[in-house]
Amino acid sequence: MNNVSDLVLDGNATALLLQQIFAPDIALAKIRCEACDCVSSVGSLALYAAPMGVVLHCADCESVLMRAVDTPHGLWLEMTGARYLRF
Amino acid sequence: MTATETSVSSRRIEWQLAELRDVVIETPRVKSLLLRPAGWPGHLPGQHVDIRLTAEDGYQAQRSYSIASPPEDELLALTVERVKDGEVSPYLLDELRAGDQLELRGPIGGYFVWTGAMGSPLCLIAGGAGVTPLMAMLRHRDRSSSRAPAVLMYSARSLEDVIYRDEIDAMARRDNSLRVVHALTREQPKDWTGHRGRIDKCLLAANCFPPAQNPAIHVCGPTTFVESVSGLLVELGFDPFSIKTERFGPSGG
Amino acid sequence: MDETHISRGFRSKRQEQTPKNRVPPGQYVTTDFPVLSAGPTPQIKVADWTFALQLNGSLLGKWSWDEFEALPQTTIKTDIHCVTKWSKLDTTWQGVTFDDLLKAVGLSEPPAPYIMAHCDGAYTTNVPVADLVGGRGMVVTRYEGLPIAPAHGGPARLLVPHLYFWKSGKWVRRIRFMQKDERGFWESLGYHNYGDPWKEQRYDGD
Repeated sequence: MNNVSDLVLDGNATALLLQQIFAPDIALAKIRCEACDCVSSVGSLALYAAPMGVVLHCADCESVLMRAVDTPHGLWLEMTGARYLRF
Repeated sequence: MTATETSVSSRRIEWQLAELRDVVIETPRVKSLLLRPAGWPGHLPGQHVDIRLTAEDGYQAQRSYSIASPPEDELLALTVERVKDGEVSPYLLDELRAGDQLELRGPIGGYFVWTGAMGSPLCLIAGGAGVTPLMAMLRHRDRSSSRAPAVLMYSARSLEDVIYRDEIDAMARRDNSLRVVHALTREQPKDWTGHRGRIDKCLLAANCFPPAQNPAIHVCGPTTFVESVSGLLVELGFDPFSIKTERFGPSGG
Repeated sequence: MDETHISRGFRSKRQEQTPKNRVPPGQYVTTDFPVLSAGPTPQIKVADWTFALQLNGSLLGKWSWDEFEALPQTTIKTDIHCVTKWSKLDTTWQGVTFDDLLKAVGLSEPPAPYIMAHCDGAYTTNVPVADLVGGRGMVVTRYEGLPIAPAHGGPARLLVPHLYFWKSGKWVRRIRFMQKDERGFWESLGYHNYGDPWKEQRYDGD
């Protein structure tokens, strides 16, 4: 009933949308969860919501760390779920 | 065809055309496409490309594939596994002919790369087609004169599904510092001396370099494989930040 | 490149023989059922599942799984349209209409003009009540006669098929009535607040 049409690389596919926003390599950055203080490498996080956008969840507590959407009217980024990003 | 670390992230990556020069049949379900892109800037082992197909009515399908060739090779190699009822893989495997152009962009990804510059031991753990970017790393390592010790743990369903089998075994035979461990999960030949079944905690403990040696660890394959192996490695005492992962397939869906 | 390169011999799997008036602009018909989730799939046990209607912080009604299954059931066949451009025709769903939910809590009129659907995984989406009454919206528990798979929003999801499918929130747990419209998960991040596929209202600003 449900399906995956083809193999898709995720995780680092995050890089391309977010990379348009950040100057240093976003996948190498560390991100700290506002809710539980867990720190992860952005590149190690599973990618959700493609192709609507990018949603990153804390590997520990699953709360949303960061969201991004690319639209014809502009690129949106929200990261209230992250205490910080460190490059 | 080389690239430097600094060129990895800051460029805007544009679509370009690549000509298919050759096809290598790797296993019954897997082929490698050897491509010559119009303007390839070079890449690092572990990076990938996006492929885009456009039908005459404008419909587009896009997928990502890891680069299997090392930066030293003249042609760009993409290894494609047939996905049942897939939209893109049947086209790449059955329709695309030598001389055809394929639209791609890259290289993409600065996180999963390995270049050997660091010198620490290298631990590569592959599930199925996840061996592709790890093969780029091994091929690159094979070209360099100084090599830190490396181990490849490679899980496949059966012997005939092991991609690059002859090449990997040949590399291991001529290089004392490379160890290869095969795990066959569904079917094993009668005289099989390798591991039977999935990669488990015991096999990891027996074959990965100990945490004290600070190995660079790269795990690649289907999402469940990657998450399971990463979990086991953390249980074995490896620092989560030393474990680099690349998942093939959607997460949580 | 000035022109898009056409891939020789590539045919979309998604093109079927379809009457044009069933496919909104910019959409392609698929026979697959692609999965798109904003987060990990929640593993929900029906024994622990509850569903609630809320107004101003108080509960209008709350149902356990068995209680919800005992409500009047409706089956519909409809087309669904994802903002990522796929459309799926003639999908069959079964569940409880929004009208029947209102009746079940003793309301003849909706108590507010808007709702926010709150779903497991911290997903939210806002819908005008006018787009739910009159059979336009349901909370569904079966797809093609079988329990909805977790990846597709099981055990229960919202279904508002005349709007883009992100409005049909997976894993819905409560519907909160609102006097003033508020934007949900995607609506607050660049997607259109209403989402009419026939007007191609994909993004905020369309």
